[in-house]
Amino acid sequence: MPISAPSVRREEFTIRAVPPLPALHARGICKAYGGRRVLDDVSLSVAPGEAIAIIGENGAGKSTLMRICAGLIQPDSGEVSVSGRVGYCPQEPGLFDLLSADDHLAMFAPALGLSRREAVHQGHVLLSEFAFPLAQRAQCRHLSGGSRQKLNLALALLGGAHVLLLDEPYQGFDHGAYVSFWEHVDRWKREGMGVVVVTHLLADRELVDRVVELRIAAEPLVEP
Amino acid sequence: MSIRRILVIAKLTGVELLRRRIALGLLTALPLAFYGSQVSRGSDAVITGGVAMAFSIAGASIFVALTARPVDPRLILAGYHPTELLLGRLLLLELFGLLVTGAFSVIMVLGSNPAHPWGLAAGVALVALTSVPFGLAVGGVSPHELEGVLILIGVVGVQLTLASNQLATKFLPFWGGQRLLDHSVNQIPMGAAVPANLAYAAALFAIATYVMTRRAPAVGGAKRHSRQTLAVTARGLGHSR
Repeated sequence: MPISAPSVRREEFTIRAVPPLPALHARGICKAYGGRRVLDDVSLSVAPGEAIAIIGENGAGKSTLMRICAGLIQPDSGEVSVSGRVGYCPQEPGLFDLLSADDHLAMFAPALGLSRREAVHQGHVLLSEFAFPLAQRAQCRHLSGGSRQKLNLALALLGGAHVLLLDEPYQGFDHGAYVSFWEHVDRWKREGMGVVVVTHLLADRELVDRVVELRIAAEPLVEP
Repeated sequence: MSIRRILVIAKLTGVELLRRRIALGLLTALPLAFYGSQVSRGSDAVITGGVAMAFSIAGASIFVALTARPVDPRLILAGYHPTELLLGRLLLLELFGLLVTGAFSVIMVLGSNPAHPWGLAAGVALVALTSVPFGLAVGGVSPHELEGVLILIGVVGVQLTLASNQLATKFLPFWGGQRLLDHSVNQIPMGAAVPANLAYAAALFAIATYVMTRRAPAVGGAKRHSRQTLAVTARGLGHSR
């Protein structure tokens, strides 16, 4: 008996180009500390597969904007919307001095829905790409500043992310690790991540798709 | 709330605490020093040593809370609930407190021969039990270690100078344990010491939870809404190149 092909109902579709949704969209962000306006109506969008650099003088609010985008602090006004998970690498590595890299990976594992084994495996892959001294199994207090920062970065990447917020992520990196970092940014872009890097380095501006400059407000905020 | 997450935090808090060998040794020696200095004065030594246990357990709890503070926002951002972090630390520190309590109670029972040895052990355990939420709450509100330690010295120091039947001591968190220790050596009535102490412990844990939750990242606060515009610009103070 011949097998008949399943009937297929043809439907007409109108296909039109739809711009991709931004991975991160912040709009009208305002933030003041102690009567000084740090961010005044700042908006920022990052598309999937795009890398942007945020530059500006010290005190211009770069880290504050990153913390707001990560959801670590609330803006006084404005909105942030994010597609998917945010990986945040703070400027200062927040690590337990007496725990090792593996201990940190194990600690983050259940929060990210990973088993200990999965987290340690993923973490080792990430850390070895940045030439982290895995063999030492050292507690964080015995690590160099650059190695601490590599662990800091790996924790931001652990479990995968759709948006990466990297606040001066390569402090203490040697030249090789710095070059490797930017190669990774390219790779993350190809994988569709939106990448935001806070930087002071002029050379970095050539390595991103866009540069956003934050300037210090001329007038201090006067509370009524 | 996930039991696995709580247990992971408890385990790694324990790993970190065990690596503080010198600090841990000094903290544990403190109540022994207080007890040893008073042992010739009879029953006073048990009460002083037992209440001084708070230095040891609350001190360790303060350090745990303050050490974790810079990391907690990232852990919460990754997916932990603030209460899971607190419960993990509470679990580990209470176990540590009970271990120290056991050893210290044996020393004091052998050294002072109290009328109610089990009452002595229960009194020390009650002090240890309350010390953990006390330390977590103090660690939550203190800006730095120095302030936290000063609060600890102030509260426990005042408690040590007061007798358990004085009105003022009832307003301090370790009164219940102090009263139970007094009962174990001087056979005075316990009154509402135990329920009062448990209420203090619960209230202190509630404070620690409140502070932790208040400080937690605003992950849910970043408004998620349908997006209609795709402006890729920075306005106001910022501009895009």
